[in-house]
Amino acid sequence: MKNVRIWFKKDKECRFISHLDLNRVMLRTVFRAKLPIWYTEGFNPHPFITFPLPLSLGFRGESECMDVRFLDENFDLTKVSEVMNMYLPEGIRVYAATECRMKPGDIAFAKFTAKLQSDVLSAIELKNELCELMILDEFLVPKKTKSGIKDVNVSEYLKLIEIVNTDDSLNIAVTLPAGSTNNVNIQLLINALESYVKSDVYYDITRVGVFDKEMNPFA
Amino acid sequence: MYPKEVEKVLLKVQKPGKYTGGELNAVVKEKSQVDLRFAFCFPDTYEVGMSHLGMKILYSLFNSVPYIWCERVFAPWIDMEEQMIKHNIPLYALESGDPLSEFDFIGFTLQYELSYTNVLNMLKMGNVPVLSKDRNQLKNIVVAGGACASNPEPLADFVDIFFIGEGEEVDLEVMELFRECRKNNESKQEFLIKAAQIEGVYVPALYDVEYNDDGTIKSFTAKHGAPEKISKRIIMDMDKSYFPDSFVVPNVEIVHDRAVSEIFRGCIRGCRFCQAGFMNRPVREKSIDTISDQCYKLCKNTGYDEVSLTSLSSSDYSQIVPLLTKLTEWTDEEKVSLSLPSLRVDGFTDEIMSKIKTVRKSGLTFAPEAGTQRLRDAINKNVREDELLETCKTAFNGGWTNIKLYFMTGLPTETDEDLEGIANLGQAVVNTFYRCENRAKGRGVNVTCSASSFIPKPFTPFQWEAQDDIPEIKRKQMVVKNAIKTKKITFNYHDAATTFLEGVFARGDRKLCKVMLKACEKGFHFDGWNDCFSIDKWFELFEECEIDPTFYTSRKRSFDEILPWDFIDYGVNKSFLKSECLKAYESVTTPNCREKCSACGAAKYKGGVCYEKCKNMV
Repeated sequence: MKNVRIWFKKDKECRFISHLDLNRVMLRTVFRAKLPIWYTEGFNPHPFITFPLPLSLGFRGESECMDVRFLDENFDLTKVSEVMNMYLPEGIRVYAATECRMKPGDIAFAKFTAKLQSDVLSAIELKNELCELMILDEFLVPKKTKSGIKDVNVSEYLKLIEIVNTDDSLNIAVTLPAGSTNNVNIQLLINALESYVKSDVYYDITRVGVFDKEMNPFA
Repeated sequence: MYPKEVEKVLLKVQKPGKYTGGELNAVVKEKSQVDLRFAFCFPDTYEVGMSHLGMKILYSLFNSVPYIWCERVFAPWIDMEEQMIKHNIPLYALESGDPLSEFDFIGFTLQYELSYTNVLNMLKMGNVPVLSKDRNQLKNIVVAGGACASNPEPLADFVDIFFIGEGEEVDLEVMELFRECRKNNESKQEFLIKAAQIEGVYVPALYDVEYNDDGTIKSFTAKHGAPEKISKRIIMDMDKSYFPDSFVVPNVEIVHDRAVSEIFRGCIRGCRFCQAGFMNRPVREKSIDTISDQCYKLCKNTGYDEVSLTSLSSSDYSQIVPLLTKLTEWTDEEKVSLSLPSLRVDGFTDEIMSKIKTVRKSGLTFAPEAGTQRLRDAINKNVREDELLETCKTAFNGGWTNIKLYFMTGLPTETDEDLEGIANLGQAVVNTFYRCENRAKGRGVNVTCSASSFIPKPFTPFQWEAQDDIPEIKRKQMVVKNAIKTKKITFNYHDAATTFLEGVFARGDRKLCKVMLKACEKGFHFDGWNDCFSIDKWFELFEECEIDPTFYTSRKRSFDEILPWDFIDYGVNKSFLKSECLKAYESVTTPNCREKCSACGAAKYKGGVCYEKCKNMV
């Protein structure tokens, strides 16, 4: 048996499907593509797939991955993308299958880009508001946790935001802690901005990459 | 595809994947390459509509015609509707993202009376005038079909064309006619008059209705050469009938997310309350090879690992065991599981059980429908208590501990004794469990008794009957509830108010159109959902329109009254329905179609179960 990491992009209409739904889409695809995948051996056998770092609903993902186990160790990994893409909706494209060099637990950072827009503020006005927000020492936003809603201070993370430019939207980039121990959702920063400008902020977020603690791309 | 403006609201609503399209096998054509665009609208949510087999069949069929592009439209859930109104986004089709108003045909499938307000609301959201007379041009032709088209009258002012019966052929004939009419620059009126000549087409605008002083129908007259009687369309050869080899595979979870194949249409039984059982006569089976072939292709093209074999009563398929044997030849190897819904108590055998998966899930469901043998005979359910208990015994000895039983209250001739019988039957099942030596040890039994309230439907022997009013429905529910003496029986029952409203529209006439219009103006939608439904608002509306809803529900009709749906011919004679009704009063049963032909009239279609015996003799 061999652990294989399948790499894909999630975009277009498919960025609006949740992680749970993505899981279902992938199960159907590996089933139909007849990949030599190991099935669970319980009462309800299904292909065993896991996602090292699930992607939030609505985000585009440029280098997403999922892990499977191949029964046939000699299966040609270069064929995986071709057979899977035949059966995937257009918004999900597999571009590689590799051996797993890192463990999911090695994930430490994720890099995002985001286009932000508002009905009431221009991109430049939005930028100015964000700059003001970024220099504050404390800014609390409510965060849903298992034990209820808690206020968390996001100023530390707001300072990490890099303003790329403005066109019809305000374009930013930010690298945030990610993984199973300390994960900061970029959504929190957008919520902070929304509450600061007191109006809806429309966002289009892309996760461009996932990294280990030395900022090596996850592989 | 979705319109650009939709993008920013998608993250403000739940499950945005419902509103984006882009699913596997969705058909996208080049606008300039097609002559006719059809918006197939399902007047409920994406999750419900995408589970509907009829829509899957017609979607693929229409798109198999090069000059037609058929797209899907669903009712946006209330959060999305709010956003769309706020941002001025008209209701759009999922494939192109174009608003409803750009389509030549806007087709609705009518499966449930309480979705009628959604039909009008969807037109309104798509910027299409809701009244047929306000749509003057030869475009935005609103058509409708499905089970509820059996009584089209409550929607007569809104829909241009109703398709009566099975749609596979008649829909295409009408679209071909439309194409011709447009080529010749004909008016909508000219098109409708011509369309009415096609069998299975009902154009409500071509008929005048006059009423008596008591509100009943005095006359129903055809104009412009439209036929007096509309005959249903029916596909006789199920093996040659179109069936898709792929489905649109949703990206988000829907209600029934699996491959489906019909194994036959119609039902041999003739339970007297059941509309589907009479409207879809005669039974027409698909051959084993066709079913197996269709299921195989579907699994291959969709990636589903579950196949459901649907029909009105699956165990009545004449060769059910050979069918399952044939299917398991490939399903085992492909890791595909089979499910067989709609099993009858008397059709549940060990042989079937071992081959299907329904039994692996938590429970088994059977529908005795009534609590006593006398009432079961009156409704012609023909299930005996000992059969039910025997089946339960098999299941309990096999390790199952959950049984669900479906009942109806408010059936004609019902007494309180029959209602108490529901509790007694539940108790008998509980007792059976404790008498089973091989029952699951250390676990209790749970018997769920669910009672819906009977609604008389057109084209059934009970179409003349009175329906219980809301207080009576509630009283009967309490009679059953109070008769249950054990915690091992869970009793569920339907909401009395929605049942009442469903009954109004099920047997309504054209006078209800003005209520529908008012409901639309007031923004009524999703009446089938507790989130939105309010009977008080409906009562206000009826009062405003000076219409007494109990005229449609609580009134027992005489056999010679002209019923609003009398102009439709589903193949079963009215005289047969009347004799079945009279037999019900005497609790006399009627044998099923395979045992003995009772001459209902459906033999005129020259096929199906009516000719099975002749075929066997040759």
